[in-house]
Amino acid sequence: MGDRLDRWADPPLLVLASLADEPKHGYAITQDVAQTMGVRLSAGTLYAVISRLESRGLIEPLPAEDRRRPYRLTAAGAAELARQSERMSRVASLATKRLQANLGWAPA
Amino acid sequence: MNGHSMKRPGRRGPGTPPGTTPGTTLLARAALALYPPSWRARYGDEVHALLEESGGGLGAAASVAWRALPAWIWPPAHLHDRPARMRASLSTGLLAWSFLTGLALVFAQLTQFQGFQPPGHPIIPASYLVFDAALVMSVAAAGLGGLPLWLLMLRRAHRERLRRDTLYLLLPLIVPIAFLAGLNIMVPLVGGAHGVSPASFLIITLAGFCFAGVAATGPGLALRRLQPRGPALHLATIAGGVAAAAAVTAAAAIIVAVTGLCLWARGFAGYHHGAIPGVYLALVVVAATVTAVSATRGTRAALAELR
Repeated sequence: MGDRLDRWADPPLLVLASLADEPKHGYAITQDVAQTMGVRLSAGTLYAVISRLESRGLIEPLPAEDRRRPYRLTAAGAAELARQSERMSRVASLATKRLQANLGWAPA
Repeated sequence: MNGHSMKRPGRRGPGTPPGTTPGTTLLARAALALYPPSWRARYGDEVHALLEESGGGLGAAASVAWRALPAWIWPPAHLHDRPARMRASLSTGLLAWSFLTGLALVFAQLTQFQGFQPPGHPIIPASYLVFDAALVMSVAAAGLGGLPLWLLMLRRAHRERLRRDTLYLLLPLIVPIAFLAGLNIMVPLVGGAHGVSPASFLIITLAGFCFAGVAATGPGLALRRLQPRGPALHLATIAGGVAAAAAVTAAAAIIVAVTGLCLWARGFAGYHHGAIPGVYLALVVVAATVTAVSATRGTRAALAELR
């Protein structure tokens, strides 16, 4: 069930989080997201997300190297990622508290 | 940027990434061909490179193909200026709408114009009514909404002595008149006591689609050359959206009616031959889809520009 819920992960947020580290091109983003966040982004999903994020000014392209174009986070993208991270932290904190209080769950 | 982001994991040598086969390249190209030209020009090489690096395959190409429809409906704002998108949508939409309207006229000829109502389910005459109303609304919206833009472009072409553009703009008038005149001459020659034969009807129909295509291409070419902007373009694009919505409603009525005729009135006008209505309905669905997608793109751009 947990694996299935991973499919609902928000791809734009995953891409923003991946680019918060350093500029990356498409393949590097998919590898980073798979290795660090455990989510496999398909090529179609990734470029649908990249075009949306670029359109909203949250990421920007760097000069292409061969046929690979790296992208980096803009200031607006960093602010949006911070806002969303804050929101997710609140959700995670609330979920942990309720699990502990009602189901006796203890974090590993 | 460190080495991680730019290195090419899994590469076996220059130009030979793992899993890259002619089949992978072909699949990637086929999937990318489904995207709008501007999207393809901007991201095509990158997606191709990603598919090569990640090994490609049918699943990866399918994931790219699956995202083509949203790329048409919601094109990224940074890839187009809105007036250009409106003009492109009008050109494509007009061609697809003409094809769909032609298919609708074939439907009318083979059903309502037969002079008697087929027996069967009440849903059939009800869908006829919906079809009639939707088709009239679609033609009226396209004609009235497009007229100011057409007149504006015609006036400019005339004032600047752009003869080719004047001809392009007049094609929607000249071509149907030429077709109807040709029809008036040909039908008495090839027709018998019971009208024209099925083969002659097919030839006339195909000729009609060719003429409609030429008539619809003219304004599209003029739009591309004259590049109009302003309120007339907005009005034409929004009217195009209304016309497309009505045409898609008419197409839905056709699908219901033809399905109804196949199920409940099989002896009527050849509806016992399943293959012919099947091909016809497939053409209706394709034309309705292209019309709807083009109109949606244009209308979204027009409304965004107004905001």
